[in-house]
Amino acid sequence: MVMVESLISWVLRIGVFSGATITLIGFFTTPEITWLGVLVLILTPFMRVVMTGIYFLSRRDWAYFSLAIYVIMMLVIGSLLHMF
Amino acid sequence: MGIYPVALAIFIFGIFAGSLGAMLGLGGGVLMIIFLLLALNIPAHQAVALSLIAVIASSSMGGSVYIKDRMTNLKLAMVLETFTVTGAVAGAFLALSLPVSAIQVLLGCVLFYTSITMFRERKEEGEGAECSGSSPLHGEFYDEQSCATVKYSIKNLKLGAAASLIAGAVSGIVGIGGGVIKVPIMNIVMKIPIKAAAATSNFMVGVTAAASAVVYFQNGLVDLQLAAPTMLGIMIGAYIGTRLLARSRSVVLRRVLAVVLAFFGFVLLLKTGGVLVW
Repeated sequence: MVMVESLISWVLRIGVFSGATITLIGFFTTPEITWLGVLVLILTPFMRVVMTGIYFLSRRDWAYFSLAIYVIMMLVIGSLLHMF
Repeated sequence: MGIYPVALAIFIFGIFAGSLGAMLGLGGGVLMIIFLLLALNIPAHQAVALSLIAVIASSSMGGSVYIKDRMTNLKLAMVLETFTVTGAVAGAFLALSLPVSAIQVLLGCVLFYTSITMFRERKEEGEGAECSGSSPLHGEFYDEQSCATVKYSIKNLKLGAAASLIAGAVSGIVGIGGGVIKVPIMNIVMKIPIKAAAATSNFMVGVTAAASAVVYFQNGLVDLQLAAPTMLGIMIGAYIGTRLLARSRSVVLRRVLAVVLAFFGFVLLLKTGGVLVW
């Protein structure tokens, strides 16, 4: 558990810093790079869910694992809504 | 006005909002959205999208601290998250077809609500800390201040779930993280100690904001040029706030900010109603 937690906090840090760095580079160059940076930032909290899901999977805690899957599914649905 | 002065203004205000948000547990979204709407006259949908970006940045910064303190109840976060995320995606989708006035009026109401919750004193652990293993979602954490392990069980899960759904939808529409709605509900209704509630809420706020943000992002509503100063300003602010100022819990500052939020809520309603124009 402790390992998962410190891993999660590292993922958050890496996600937010790389998102900001890419976005900053994009600010002075092209919008396409900024787009990527924003995407990295938006996906960072979901990495937290993915890792929590993996943690529950490793403990064979199926109920909570399926909740994590549901949350990730909602993100996918949210990202597809603009097509309708 | 060109893009650079606006970007600079957002960057500077972001530092302010980020540090104040981290100090007071506000998340920074509430302050950011007011600034974008009222000071910079950014159209409501774009302002909400940028504010969500700010919320994601500040919660990810704050989250790396909270998780280390081991106060986040991951199981509870997962259960409530299913409801907030559903609300967040639905809310953001709904907001796309809502008129600007509806979004601003809802935000005005949220500001009044936030102001009221800030006036209330935050109760420290005690009433929520009772040991009964009946709920599978009970939790515990080590409290540095009292040097003891605090155990708690969770009450009224159904009510908490319903409130999470609404909090998710509201945050998707007005571009806040929804911590101001979730923390009091977890603390007062679900009887979770305030520290565990705040840490668990932080986990959820980032995911909630991201679920809404992705809807705005895919609809091209995230202003890419303004995203960079928003992110950086909030990150620097959140860093300052969590490192240096997190322990100073000033009641006076809370009350001043509560009045300020209510004032801007009022101004926002007047502007939406066409009484004030600029």
